[in-house]
Amino acid sequence: MDDRPHKPHRPAQSGSKADKKDKGKGKEKQHGFNEKAFAPRSGRRADRQGRRNAERDQTRLHVPLVNRTPDDEPPPIIIAIVGPPGVGKTTLLKSLVRRYTKQTLHEAKGPITVVSGKKKRLTFIECNNDLNSMIDVGKIADLVLLMIDGSFGFEMEAFEFLNVLQSHGFPKVIGILTHLDLIRKAATLKDTKKALKKRFWTEIYQGAKLFYLSGVLNGRYPDSEILNLSRFVSVMKFRPLVFRNTHPYLLADRIEDLTPREQIRTSKGKCDRTVTVYGYVRGTNLRMGTKVHIPGVGDLDMKGVSILGDPCPMPDADSEKRRKLSEKKKLLVHAPMSDVGGVMYDKDAVYINVPGSFTRGNTNVLQGEGEQMVMDLQDASATLEDAVAQSQIRLFGSSSKHLGVAVTVNQDDGEDTEDYEEDDEVEEEEDGEEEDDDDELDDDDDNPSDHDEVQDVSRDPRNTGRVSLRTVARSLPASSKKGRGGVEYADSDSDLGEEEEGGLGTLGKRVRHEHEADDHDIPSDKDGMNEDEVDDVPKWKENLLTRAKETLSKGGRRKDWTNLIYSSSLTPLEILHGASSPAQEQEIDEDDDDFFKLSKPDPISTDEDIDKTEWNVEPEDLDRWKEENVLDSIRGLFITGGEARGDEGEEGEDGYEDSHGELDDDIPAEDEPSASKEEPSHSATLAAKKEALKRKFDEQYDDPEASKLDFYDEKKEEIARQLQLNKAEFEGVSAESRALVEGYRPGAYVRIELTNVPCEMIEHFDPSYPIIVGGLLPAEERFGFVQVRLKRHRWFVRTLKTNDPLIFSIGWRRFQSVPIYSLDDHSIRMRMLKYTPEHMHCYATFYGPVSLPNTGFCAFNSLAGETSGFRVSATGVVLDIDRSVKIVKKIKLTGVPFKIYKNTAFIKDMFNSALEVAKFEGANIRTVSGIRGQVKKAFSKPEGTFRATFEDKILKSDIVFLRAWYSIQPRKYYNPVTSLLLSDKAHWFGMRLTGQIRRDEGLQTPSNPDSKYRKIGRPARRFNPLFVPKKLQAALPYASKPKKMSSQRKQTYLQKRAVVMEPEERKAMALLQQMRALRKDQVARRKDKKTERRAIHQKKAEKEESRRNDKEKEKRKDHMRVAGQKSKRQTDLEEGRSRKRRKT
Amino acid sequence: MAQTGSLLHYRSHQHFRNRLVLSILSGKPVRIDKIRSDDKNPGLRDFEISLLRLLEKVTNGTIIEISITGTAILLKPGIISGGPLVHDCPLSRSIGYFLEPIIMLAPFSKKPLQLTLRGITTDEHDLSADLIRTVTLPHLQLFGLTDGVELRIKKRGAAPAGGGEVQFLCPIVKQVKTLDFVEPGKIKRIRGIAHAVRVSPQFSNRMIEACRSVINRYIPDIYLYSDVYKGDESGKSPGYALTLLAESTTSAIHCSEAISRPGVTPEEIALEASRSLLAEIERGGCVDQKHQTFVLMMMVLGSEDVGRCRMSEPTPRTIQFLRDIRDFFGTSFKIVPTDPTDPDCSQLLYSCYGTGYVNANRTIA
Repeated sequence: MDDRPHKPHRPAQSGSKADKKDKGKGKEKQHGFNEKAFAPRSGRRADRQGRRNAERDQTRLHVPLVNRTPDDEPPPIIIAIVGPPGVGKTTLLKSLVRRYTKQTLHEAKGPITVVSGKKKRLTFIECNNDLNSMIDVGKIADLVLLMIDGSFGFEMEAFEFLNVLQSHGFPKVIGILTHLDLIRKAATLKDTKKALKKRFWTEIYQGAKLFYLSGVLNGRYPDSEILNLSRFVSVMKFRPLVFRNTHPYLLADRIEDLTPREQIRTSKGKCDRTVTVYGYVRGTNLRMGTKVHIPGVGDLDMKGVSILGDPCPMPDADSEKRRKLSEKKKLLVHAPMSDVGGVMYDKDAVYINVPGSFTRGNTNVLQGEGEQMVMDLQDASATLEDAVAQSQIRLFGSSSKHLGVAVTVNQDDGEDTEDYEEDDEVEEEEDGEEEDDDDELDDDDDNPSDHDEVQDVSRDPRNTGRVSLRTVARSLPASSKKGRGGVEYADSDSDLGEEEEGGLGTLGKRVRHEHEADDHDIPSDKDGMNEDEVDDVPKWKENLLTRAKETLSKGGRRKDWTNLIYSSSLTPLEILHGASSPAQEQEIDEDDDDFFKLSKPDPISTDEDIDKTEWNVEPEDLDRWKEENVLDSIRGLFITGGEARGDEGEEGEDGYEDSHGELDDDIPAEDEPSASKEEPSHSATLAAKKEALKRKFDEQYDDPEASKLDFYDEKKEEIARQLQLNKAEFEGVSAESRALVEGYRPGAYVRIELTNVPCEMIEHFDPSYPIIVGGLLPAEERFGFVQVRLKRHRWFVRTLKTNDPLIFSIGWRRFQSVPIYSLDDHSIRMRMLKYTPEHMHCYATFYGPVSLPNTGFCAFNSLAGETSGFRVSATGVVLDIDRSVKIVKKIKLTGVPFKIYKNTAFIKDMFNSALEVAKFEGANIRTVSGIRGQVKKAFSKPEGTFRATFEDKILKSDIVFLRAWYSIQPRKYYNPVTSLLLSDKAHWFGMRLTGQIRRDEGLQTPSNPDSKYRKIGRPARRFNPLFVPKKLQAALPYASKPKKMSSQRKQTYLQKRAVVMEPEERKAMALLQQMRALRKDQVARRKDKKTERRAIHQKKAEKEESRRNDKEKEKRKDHMRVAGQKSKRQTDLEEGRSRKRRKT
Repeated sequence: MAQTGSLLHYRSHQHFRNRLVLSILSGKPVRIDKIRSDDKNPGLRDFEISLLRLLEKVTNGTIIEISITGTAILLKPGIISGGPLVHDCPLSRSIGYFLEPIIMLAPFSKKPLQLTLRGITTDEHDLSADLIRTVTLPHLQLFGLTDGVELRIKKRGAAPAGGGEVQFLCPIVKQVKTLDFVEPGKIKRIRGIAHAVRVSPQFSNRMIEACRSVINRYIPDIYLYSDVYKGDESGKSPGYALTLLAESTTSAIHCSEAISRPGVTPEEIALEASRSLLAEIERGGCVDQKHQTFVLMMMVLGSEDVGRCRMSEPTPRTIQFLRDIRDFFGTSFKIVPTDPTDPDCSQLLYSCYGTGYVNANRTIA
């Protein structure tokens, strides 16, 4: 149906529509932007408007960041699809892949790369519900499609994931609401959308994009909605994230085990593996010599990196002339781990899914060319080993002699000596490997089963090294065209193969060309050696020797410094002086076997050779400067020297002033010829100078302000200039040496060989868990104490305790460590905290791999999925890295006085020896009652006692204490989360808490009886009455005499007097009494009445309450019945819709 | 958790300082053996021991293991901590020997470095305090260290007995800038310092006179300062020296130096200094030979961009340094003649891709 051309649109030539259009066109120009409409009405308004505009302009600006990803060939954008199980991730992935490539995925696993536009590729990755995967995906995703079940709402994982994203640099997030078709009522749908959007916006930012996907059609989302989504994705711009912009990384889309099968067999599969991972380099340049970290596995060494042909190349120059991506290019999909059109790559094999089988006699299936080839392979009479032994390989087309197999095997050992030869030798080496494998194959594979044969076939392309990878690139699109066409699959293969020859075929070829070119590129002294390389080894080296000597002895010829310094083993002096001394040459000549031998330092130089900066100047070298003409020869290097050398400064002062001013101000414009080439380019320079001056004058005359850029533009321009320089500097250099100097650039599809990989990674490989290879900076390989600023997450329910293990996710790594929390105590000391404070930041210090200050992190108590509640326990940022820490906790030493003089007391039980006391001499001490004192000196007997002075006399019952600080170190515990090594990847368990261990082992918590809380009985202190002897009393002055006061027994006058009232008074009193009595009675009656009323009211209320309760009960019952029906309906519905949904 | 895999192994005592510096900056442990093992006096010399001590002071957590014979050392670098420090240098080498590696480390320390060094300020093997102050430290400006870099010469100390004292102040940076310095410009001014301690002050005037006789012909902008230290500040031994530097329009600096020797007149010393300055100017480039290693080091530590610098031919020291850099940082330079068309052009363009070295020791907040 698609093939049929659509009817072209014919615009109406006459009629109302045509009239309208014409009129519209005419009006368009008039309409436009009516300046009058937006002109400010008053001066004040104009001012305000101007200010507002300026402010808005400022908000638009962001700190200029360098984007290390090249613009011309960027790596595919990683789009992660994240969400709870059953939300429709796979459906969306399939729909999107269908949208871009027009083919259906049957099993989507691992990254899937597609071409989405002329300059854009996308890598889709589906993230499972394991927190480990979510963390890893969050670290690499450029765009996250966060899927939310509209009928259910947000789940905890979504929030956890957003918090993880936040602490590792926030990539772009698009929310996608699915299952909206389950909501029947339009009003409910509207409300749900609104509520979810509001929540989503508060979590990300106001106005974050939220998509709605309605129901599923044919196992996919509606095409129009997917198209809409893909349009949003295609116009999305990405701001570089700081961490990713400083680290190289790749998302492995394919992984292979290269360990010799024999070794695996002998070690029963337990030996460390050699593994290659494939993927696009992202971030910054990937350089050799650095370590990489695979989250979930650990730090690994890169043994080798090689650039491969792009398996999913961008449209080439030919099709770039088109405005749109051609339909043919749309078919490209690279998904090695998933099942695309019947081809699937596993960890160690490629599976081709065909109907029927490759066994003989199955003639009812039509055989395509590809299948025929596979079948033919089975006919092979000789083993591959024999074939290799018989085959004759020539290194170059021009070389006359074939490579012998025996020779190549021997050469394997000494391969790493020369970078430039490595390429050739890799090929040879791989040939050797092939042999090994095949030996093993013959031994092992005895049972001729179907499966084995398929593997056998698939192993073949793999083992031929580079060639295989190119075939991969070629075969994929071919296979993809027809989907799972099965029978026709091979037909289309041949068809497309021819068509694509120009594109992909050349791509493969190009790789090869480059290598050849490199070999020819090796400059000057090596040219000869390559031609003769095919010959006998001794001869080759002989030739090289003579060549090298020739080069060195040639005075006039220019040295190739890069080569001499980096790829020869000449001593610096030999390099510098070119022709080595005759004695050394002699030595070299004798030494036939190995030219590149570390020359022995000659005894003369060692004696006086001291490590010094000042270069010895030869006296005769300086004597040269006595001559006048030599002195004059460098006049051109001075500003007074004029243009030409030996120009004798005819320009004089004027020229000096002139050039001075110009040079200082306008450096880029200055095109000063260096003193070497003068005469021919004299006029040209003059013209250039004039041009520069004219430009400068113009700038100054026209508008001096206009030429000045503001800070922002200046910085941006600076960055752009540097990027331009980066690009230009190594333009002409061959790929190999370029990789040597600048590493592998982002966007390159590379194969990384990793050594000593734990075997579990391969054995328990699961493509649904992403494998990320993150490059480490040199500093990050080291270990130390890392100080971070940390805040417990407000949704995490428990507080965090010092010395409890915590799982950190910092940089690429996930690991468990034991932090100590602390707070800065008045900038004097770092004081340990037992628990993290509420709603406040604190410091945490732990031992672990270093990461750069300012790196964000998040921490977890447990990564297990069963954990209820929010799992992100803390977030923060790295502050400091050190090899030692200064965290202290308070310690109080207590003692008691055993002898008290006036202000002096002797204290015991605080220290154990005089030495300890000596350490604390002069320290401040205090009693509980607050009397301050000082440690004076140790007392000889008993040991550990000391003399102390106080500001007042202390009591025998006082406790004396000394407040001190005790420094503590975090435990050196580091435990990487090796989740990828487990067969059950979601259940990684680190160190348990003590409480957990006790619970698991059923142990009692040991309790110290002293720590128990008891009721503190403090008997009231009784003071004896003061007793002053009679004799002393008599002697005391009156003021000091104790006055004895006893209570009065006799009645006082006021008590015993009789009161006689006047008649008026009596009357008044009686009246008052009556009034009081009346009042009392009134109050009592009122009270009675009130109680009565209250009783009635209560009765009424009770009645009302019971009635309401009945009503409520009825309502609830009703509701529950409806809900029950609904849920039953839903389960019925779901059972029909998807079985997966029911699982959750 | 020592990464034994990345241990680098070297022989001989040569390039000792550079290898230690590279080790500390890159964090890779280094083992150097066969240190003068065939010598009559085998093992590390006193100044090398002293340098190791100094590095231990400047860093935190550095482990230095020296074999019993002293012919092999193992350095496991810690972090560069900086802060206020005092170090007494032995009299066998001048302060320059110690200061050169420290200048490379100081910008990447945790705290700004305030280092006081005592010993000989000028000798014939290393850069004198004057040269470091006037030439080496301005080179730091190329890499973005503009304020606060200072070398104070408090006392001068001539060769045998020393007695000098300098104070080196250096701020810290997050990251050094990339260098793009290809325009050598033309020499616009020449400056010089003639200093004389514990000899007649007339000596410095004589040196200035003799120097002017050579370089006056080129340029009018010449200032030669006579710097005489008296009394306690003049150290313990007599001596004098002339330090010259020529600055170009693009502020490329070339320098030379000559110091007093017994039986040589001040005039001859001055002529030697001025002639070697001319030789240096003739060699050309944007950086003079003595500072090649320093500039190359900083280029490697620059941000992840292409840095370029035009220099004269590398010295043997530089060549070895380039090789060592590749061992430690994996960075190699592209070295091509500045002008490919001109066969006589001896100046080279050194370009490299910076490692993006970030000062991880720096504390934030």
